[in-house]
Amino acid sequence: MFYRYFPFWKIFFEGLGWSVKTSEGVRQKEKIVYFEDSCLPMKLLVTHAVQLREKVDYLFVPRLVSIHRSFIMCPKFRGAPDIVRLATERKVSVIDETIDLRKGGVSFFQSFLKIGKKLGASKQESKNAFREAEDSFSRSRKGWMDRINRLPTGQLFEVNIPTPSEGRNFPLRVAFIGHPYNLFDVDISKGLLSLAKGLGMEIVTSDILSEKEIDREVSNLSKEIYWSSGREIVGSLFHFLSGGVDGVVFLTSFKCGIDALLQEFIKRRLKVLGGPSLPLLILSLDEHTSREGLMTRLEAFRDVIEERRSDSQIVV
Amino acid sequence: MKVTFPRLGSMHIFCKAIAETAGIPYVLPPETSRKTLTLGVLHSNECICLPFKMILGNFIEALQQGADTIVMVGSGPPCRLGLYDLVQKVILEDMGLHYRWLTIPPRLTWGAMWKNHEETKELRKELSAKNVLLFPYGLWMGWKKMMACEGLERLAMKVRPLEIKKGETQRRLKKALSWVDEAKTAKVLEEAIRRGKALLEEMEQDHSRRPFKVAVVGELYTVMDPHINRGVEQKLGELGAEVTRTSWFSTHILRTMRKNKADRASERVRFFEASKAYLGYDVGAECNVSVGEAILRSKEGYDGVVHLMPFACMPETTASGILTKVGKEWDIPILTLILDEQEIEGRIQTLLEAFVEMLEWKRRAA
Repeated sequence: MFYRYFPFWKIFFEGLGWSVKTSEGVRQKEKIVYFEDSCLPMKLLVTHAVQLREKVDYLFVPRLVSIHRSFIMCPKFRGAPDIVRLATERKVSVIDETIDLRKGGVSFFQSFLKIGKKLGASKQESKNAFREAEDSFSRSRKGWMDRINRLPTGQLFEVNIPTPSEGRNFPLRVAFIGHPYNLFDVDISKGLLSLAKGLGMEIVTSDILSEKEIDREVSNLSKEIYWSSGREIVGSLFHFLSGGVDGVVFLTSFKCGIDALLQEFIKRRLKVLGGPSLPLLILSLDEHTSREGLMTRLEAFRDVIEERRSDSQIVV
Repeated sequence: MKVTFPRLGSMHIFCKAIAETAGIPYVLPPETSRKTLTLGVLHSNECICLPFKMILGNFIEALQQGADTIVMVGSGPPCRLGLYDLVQKVILEDMGLHYRWLTIPPRLTWGAMWKNHEETKELRKELSAKNVLLFPYGLWMGWKKMMACEGLERLAMKVRPLEIKKGETQRRLKKALSWVDEAKTAKVLEEAIRRGKALLEEMEQDHSRRPFKVAVVGELYTVMDPHINRGVEQKLGELGAEVTRTSWFSTHILRTMRKNKADRASERVRFFEASKAYLGYDVGAECNVSVGEAILRSKEGYDGVVHLMPFACMPETTASGILTKVGKEWDIPILTLILDEQEIEGRIQTLLEAFVEMLEWKRRAA
């Protein structure tokens, strides 16, 4: 979940006087480390960890059990620090503090106090760093949409680069839904967002929706979806499909258990409800996905949207 | 009203017993076959786990044969099993099949009770007083039959590596299970169990053999259902390995009923403790238990471990990564079999033969 909470984590550790080093990713040259037969994001996590093994004193892989007060994360996150530890042959000390927000907001703070303690910081230092980190996080959440649309994907998380004040105008507005790492990791999405911007699509993500708006869409289901990311995906998909944008793109990574199940659910539900009212594109990503392949799909998708637009104009 | 349920291992025998004894009409889903799986695969997508497809296939077949009420166990996070019903309901709806759904709650909470109450509101009208009165007896009968099936299967696992005529154990086990299935009263059931046990014990056996001890671990559905795992248990047994597994219906039912004091359920706790060297947190489902069991089995002098998981299973994928390390560090051969809808029976046979051969070398070298 680097791709959502990095502004928080970076400031926290820097506040404690540590420098933060991130891995350079895989790009095209490096090989992916296959430690287990998992989804691409997990394989990349292991690869990044192996890359960083020699370069750092501590590796921060939090055990993300839950980042919502009543819903949980995918079970793979629970084992992630253990996998990383084994993949790096126990050669680097992993900070694997459990983050479980079901125990209340205080436990989040306590987790970070514990991390601070591990790094030899006093309680007060950790406290200050935590406050600063919270500020930085909420700042980063504010003009997030503008940032996505005005900066190249690679620079989104460089906290020091300010958001350009002027952006260009896009003729289309398209919602991109998926786990944050699927959207923003260049190794996973192969720079899909920049491709989309190049095609004149303004990007909207589920980040702009409030929790209430998402809850409204998923609260009437026969059973609660208990993964927070799954809720966000299903809720925002139904939200955007009911209007406000020109089209919706759903990004999943191959072998993602949550997405596979929910994807089927979404498709079927839409069919039962009488078909989607907007164009919906589902892209499944893995290490074999190529930029060119995505480009073709996106171009076709744009054509569908434009076709639809001109059709409706004729009718009206 | 016609009740139906998923088919899993010998589960149909005691589910049937419950319905039959209580006098509730039911439809037994046809034996899981290629067609069942094809139906399940057709109506889901490639990354959904195999149990989902199997259960869906069972339901479709049963509904097509006239069932109208589905009884399904509920489960909780973090595994996908907990959301099966949400998705399956929509799929069945989309297929135009009519059904009513009854969830057996995994934990007795007020919320679950309320939901159960809502779901059964309609159904209760169709039940006669006789059904309701006989239901506890049905449950008891079901439990008895379940224990009987498990006892027979355990016995079969023990004698199978010693059999002289290949496949004899399986034939006898099938016969014994059918006796249990047919028993209508407690007395007949006792008799059936006794006869079944004798049938297996009387089989010609070669006691000079020294069977390998192999533990089967992994996701419970793949471990328990011979259709999904293509008879791994039987194949291993016929290759000369005494198979042990700790996933049984009774263990899981006792576990959810918080009866952890029973011996078999507490075994899980032991496994869980053992896994802590590798896993710092409960990953969910059987992941920690699989890892822990492999470690403990190595300590107990087992010859090998077979790890079963459905393709793309979330907790077991984590386990499989860790198990490769466990195998090296504890010096125990571990074979991970990933199962999906592909026709891989031949491949599994080859893999298992190679695995057992490897165990032989290992024994000779020691």
